[in-house]
Amino acid sequence: MNAAGASLLSALGLCLVSALAGATAPRRVRPLLAGLGTACAGAAAAAAGVAALAGQSWSAWLPGVLPLAGARLALDPLGGMFVAVTGAVAVCAAVYGIGYAKHGVDGRVTQATLPLFLGAMLLVPVAASVSTLLVAWELMAVTSLLLVLAEHARRPAVAEAGLWYAVMTHLGFAAIVAGMAGFAAGAAGESFEQLRAATLSPAVRDAVFVATLAGFASKAGIVPLHVWLARAHPEAPSPVSALMSAAMVNMGVYGIVRVGLDLLRGGPSWWWLVVLAMGALSALFGILQAAVASDLKRLLGYSTTENMGLVLIGVGAAGFFASCGDKELAGLALVAALLHVVNHAGFKTLLFLAAGSVLRATGTRDLDALGGLRGRMPYTTALFAVGALAASALPPGNGFVSEWLLLQSLIHALPTSGVAGAVTMPPAVGVIALSAGLAIATFVKAFGVGFLARARTPAAGRAAESPPTMICGMALAAACCVALALAPAAVLPALSHLVAVLLPGHEAVGGVVTLRLADVQGTMSPLLIAAALAVAAALLLGSVRLVARRARRPARLWDCGAGPMTPRMEYTATSFAEPLQRVFDNVLAPESDLAVTPTKESAYLVESIHYRARIPDRIERRLYDPVLAAAASIGRGATRLANGSIHRYLAYGFYALTGVLLVLAVVW
Amino acid sequence: MSDSVYMPLLDLACGAFLLAGVLVLWRRDLAAIVRLFALQGAALAALVIVLAAHEGSAGLAAAGVAVGGLRAGLLPHLMRRALVAGGEGQESRPLVNVATSLLVAAVLAMVAYDASQPLVRLTPTPATQAVPVALTVLLVGFFVLVTRRRALSQVVGFLLMDNAITATAFLTAGGVPLVVELGVSLDVLLAVLVLQVLTLRMRAAFGGTDLDELRELRD
Repeated sequence: MNAAGASLLSALGLCLVSALAGATAPRRVRPLLAGLGTACAGAAAAAAGVAALAGQSWSAWLPGVLPLAGARLALDPLGGMFVAVTGAVAVCAAVYGIGYAKHGVDGRVTQATLPLFLGAMLLVPVAASVSTLLVAWELMAVTSLLLVLAEHARRPAVAEAGLWYAVMTHLGFAAIVAGMAGFAAGAAGESFEQLRAATLSPAVRDAVFVATLAGFASKAGIVPLHVWLARAHPEAPSPVSALMSAAMVNMGVYGIVRVGLDLLRGGPSWWWLVVLAMGALSALFGILQAAVASDLKRLLGYSTTENMGLVLIGVGAAGFFASCGDKELAGLALVAALLHVVNHAGFKTLLFLAAGSVLRATGTRDLDALGGLRGRMPYTTALFAVGALAASALPPGNGFVSEWLLLQSLIHALPTSGVAGAVTMPPAVGVIALSAGLAIATFVKAFGVGFLARARTPAAGRAAESPPTMICGMALAAACCVALALAPAAVLPALSHLVAVLLPGHEAVGGVVTLRLADVQGTMSPLLIAAALAVAAALLLGSVRLVARRARRPARLWDCGAGPMTPRMEYTATSFAEPLQRVFDNVLAPESDLAVTPTKESAYLVESIHYRARIPDRIERRLYDPVLAAAASIGRGATRLANGSIHRYLAYGFYALTGVLLVLAVVW
Repeated sequence: MSDSVYMPLLDLACGAFLLAGVLVLWRRDLAAIVRLFALQGAALAALVIVLAAHEGSAGLAAAGVAVGGLRAGLLPHLMRRALVAGGEGQESRPLVNVATSLLVAAVLAMVAYDASQPLVRLTPTPATQAVPVALTVLLVGFFVLVTRRRALSQVVGFLLMDNAITATAFLTAGGVPLVVELGVSLDVLLAVLVLQVLTLRMRAAFGGTDLDELRELRD
């Protein structure tokens, strides 16, 4: 066995050991033992993934583990990338979780389930047969559901979020089962090698792709299957939110790439245009909802939908270019998409962990009730700033690098991809640009309103900095973000290599300090850009010092003579987003109601005014509510069948049995 | 055992088994129903012992004795105790009257005969030929469960179904593995004990054991 296999197996073993520790250790040391074990498992998994990316491959067949088929595992570069990302996220979240656990999530079930969740997420990308994949997928869904429900006793919203998640994830699972079972039925067997060798009719291929796309897209939180994400991710404990939002959603992308590009070896261009359209819709819708959200974790959840949308734009473009025969551009788009998966995992881990730190310190996620955290939580503030910069896709951040690569691949599409490309690629470019702009507004809001200015509530004013383990977890994630921002060349060759294996061709991106695109005109140097920005900032500060030579003198801020300014005068998250909400009024369809109560004496004198504004998820309102209402009315109608008489219930069974026997007697 | 002895004995046991099941529909006296059930248990035991004698299997004979002890001895005894404690001697008004019930039983017998033909065709031995009998008793038991009001009649209906399932197992496969048989018997015993307690409680709460009184307890 080589290093990749050994570290993967030790990671899985460590997951089991940590789960055991979480289930049996006394409460005092439980978070420490389980957290350390999970962190070690994550590190081992990251090592295995890196080894796989470097070219080591490993596979195993364990006939006794699963009934009938046995478990089939294989670590290839594509799976290795997702294993590495999951492992790295798990290290940060587990270290952070040691400190966070005292915040009410140190119960046995939660502490034992978290390592199992990690193990399931590691198994998904290394599964090499349909049954193994399905078992790992379901294990991942069930363990994450348990973790989402960890705080159900405290907030009723958790149970509702759990219900949404359970239903959506199992509908998605059903779609995946249908698709993969159909695929395996048409192939000689159920191992991925046999699936690759299968020759299916075009109709079956279409059905397999559409079914699996629906299932995997629901896991990735893609519009219109995103409704669970913005509920479940905020309600989970923060380390779990980070794992779900930075690692679990990636499995959806993995599934689409694995099935669409690897097992089905690409397909007609409409498949990929559908993927691209879903991605574009998610990117826009997600970031718009994030821009107007005032719940910090809900904002981050919608931002996940946006980023997964961007990734799917890349995946869809890659598939589309490949179907047009342009392997080079396809490689570039896929590299950009995978790099964005890595980058998003980095900054979303950081942001969710920092949001959890704020939640722990203030007890609220409502941006309108925060503010003034810069002085009281300096480390968390600085680390959130790093994450916000990365998520805004601005130059020194890591999000910029992948979005730039993505734009490059789309912009250069015109000459080769025909009419379909000429029609679809410019809007896709527009969507990326618009979502980048809205992302900047979103994260300026999240950082500016949440952390700067003055505290809007006493709870925010009493906030205290988080314990060192939590800061350490966040700092690890921040270090990854900075490294990815300054030296993307550390991961790009590996990604280019893996893409070159997947879509046969040569490596799409090269260069160390300056990134050079192999097949299209384009160079960019993140390091030089960052250096130039640093020099410019230093020059600016220096010149201000030079000009303003006088000594500093404290003075009161000009308040128009209206007396001391109160926190009520500050911009809130809602007011900051209000102009955006006006611009996108038709899309967002905000609801507001205004109730004016006059005094008894005169209708012209107002006693109180109640104003409530809500921005519902419009897709949920239009698409899901009618279905739910119909199901509820059918359920109410069906209660007439159940009138409480035991004899009637027994009679239903009797009639059903004799009915079936009669049918058999007649038919047979 | 030669076939000339085996076949009539098998047919006799199966006939007694079927007749006891159908007669449960006829009698409204609860004590008589319990007696019929005990008779059916004895017929089932005899059936198993005949099969054992035919195959020369001591294990199967032991299973037959155990089945007889449970179904002709212990369970009727428990039900009689419940009957004495409950103090109700009659099935008051069945949801379907006795004459119609007997007609329905005839129809069910035909359905069962027709529906079990594929099973019989698999291995047409004398034992398998008797499977329609077991299936009929199953349906009759279910019918008792659906149409009788008293808790004790319901228990008997449930146990008729269980007898029929056991009979099917012995007729088609020479019995199920010992562990399964033990588990099922334990289940049945527990169900009877629970229902006995339930009968007492219902009588204490409502003054009767008419299950339709439970209608108001739904959510």
